[in-house]
Amino acid sequence: MAAIIEIKNITKEFKVLNRREGLKGSLKDLFSRNYKTVRAVDSVSMSIEQGEIVGYLGPNGAGKSTTIKMMTGVLEPTSGEILVNGCVPYKNRTKNAQNIGVVFGQRSQLWWALPLIESFKLLKDIYQIPDADYEGMLQLYRSLVDIEPLLHKPVRQMSLGQRTLSDILAAFLHNPKIVFLDEPTIGLDVSMKAKIRTLIHALNKEKKTTVILTTHDMGDVDALCRRIVIIDHGKMLYDNDIEHLKSFFGSYRTLKVRADGELAKQTEAIQKEFPEFSVSADEEEEWISVLVDEEKQKVLDVLAQLQKTHRIRDMQLEEISTEEVIKKIYEEGVR
Amino acid sequence: MKAKRYLALTRAGIIEEMQFRASFLIMVVGNLLYLIVVYFLWKAIYASAGTDVVSGMTFNDTMIYLVLATALFNFLDLYTVWQIGRDIQTGKIVLDLLKPMEYRKYLFWSYSGSFVTHFFLTFVPTFIVVAVVTHGAIPLGINILYFMISVVMAISINYSIDFFVGTICLYTESIWGINIMKQVIVLLLSGATIPIAFFPEPLKSIVYYLPFQSIYNAPLSLLLDSSPSAEKVLTTLGMQLFWCVAMLIISKVFWKASLRQITVNGG
Repeated sequence: MAAIIEIKNITKEFKVLNRREGLKGSLKDLFSRNYKTVRAVDSVSMSIEQGEIVGYLGPNGAGKSTTIKMMTGVLEPTSGEILVNGCVPYKNRTKNAQNIGVVFGQRSQLWWALPLIESFKLLKDIYQIPDADYEGMLQLYRSLVDIEPLLHKPVRQMSLGQRTLSDILAAFLHNPKIVFLDEPTIGLDVSMKAKIRTLIHALNKEKKTTVILTTHDMGDVDALCRRIVIIDHGKMLYDNDIEHLKSFFGSYRTLKVRADGELAKQTEAIQKEFPEFSVSADEEEEWISVLVDEEKQKVLDVLAQLQKTHRIRDMQLEEISTEEVIKKIYEEGVR
Repeated sequence: MKAKRYLALTRAGIIEEMQFRASFLIMVVGNLLYLIVVYFLWKAIYASAGTDVVSGMTFNDTMIYLVLATALFNFLDLYTVWQIGRDIQTGKIVLDLLKPMEYRKYLFWSYSGSFVTHFFLTFVPTFIVVAVVTHGAIPLGINILYFMISVVMAISINYSIDFFVGTICLYTESIWGINIMKQVIVLLLSGATIPIAFFPEPLKSIVYYLPFQSIYNAPLSLLLDSSPSAEKVLTTLGMQLFWCVAMLIISKVFWKASLRQITVNGG
């Protein structure tokens, strides 16, 4: 099957003025030609197929949004090739726009003062959606979420969760081939997050829409993505199945113990005993977690050793979570 | 049907405007205050001049002109520059750029609803009041038709200028100073604050060759002239048409060239 998004070695550089400090510095900056080049995205390549949900991850400022803006055609890459749905996005931005939908978690594309249904009608005309398709889509929405109470509510009166939900529905309305979701669950409560995940999943299944999802919430990733791409400092770190990623760190398990004595002191002591593992304390639940690499030492040996030096009251063993894997990658990279 | 999408934006703009009833009231009151200041200012100017006619205009002529200019300003100036600047600063512009429509057109038609509402809710009432109060100082004839054609072109020229200035924000990422400067230049050189008849001779002829006078002076002079010569109508409208096309091309080209500059803040 042909890829719907094909990226080859794209790089994006920005010219940024070197700012100086203080009032004097800012006065000097007025006449400064002292630019430095920042490479936001550094030869990234990937190929995404129709119907995939890809988690696009990376710490803040890693270059995720810049890549997405290049895929949507808002930014022109400094070098490299990019093909979305067979055309070059920045050269055919308006044409490309017909085939994509976007949701930026922090902004809304809906008409602020108007009831949601008016925004939908507008989008119908702007994207020139045929009546039958439009009705069909609304039918589908009705079957997935309870939209009736939202339809006649002005967007400015909606809660953040309702607004995000509406924005996602608006992005899928013209049945685009690709939808870019940039932190769609940011700032939402647990139940709303779950609702939105179910909705995205259902729309992807029903319409075979390709979804590119950026998020910092590993819950989103676990619930939706089979494949993840990780980027940091503009460079691609990882592009593969989520399961495969875990196997990277498969030898890691988290040992949690409760020991007698002061939490901070005990944590420090344990860290000294096992300098090669990362030890952290959970103040609230009084757990001390030791991230054990079983290639170096078996968890049970660690526990046995701990019992010799400390009075262990309770223990738990956990497999490494996606969250911890990602955290490790952000901190250390893939070896 | 391409036209349908534009009209849909106009329609939404009208509905949106109607949501903010209080702002109309405030605008009417604000205008009233402005006009009171204008009234006394010009009264003083005429009093100190000592003659009834200054630069070929009586006090009444001047007041009618300025009241209508203010009414025109109310629906012509829609703070497009602010909007573009703010969208660039907040990064919201990305969402508008990702509509399957040219941004320039998208923005214009998003505003068109406001043009329509403001025209009917501010210009038309002001026009009627002036016409009644001055007992027919405004001629009602073919000049109304000329005026309408002229206003449509004025809207287009004004929008092109605004769009051009808004585009500068892509480079500066700041709007305030640029917009104030634009507003002062346009309001002064277009004859919106002082009728062009009052300008000193050399300035008058310079202004005549600039696009700004096509925005306020041209439609108003066509409106207030009961029997304009065919030559005047043709040169005024012709000049407007020229600027209409010229500014459209200039602002379009500038935008296209500048879009590569875009960095888009945030996220």
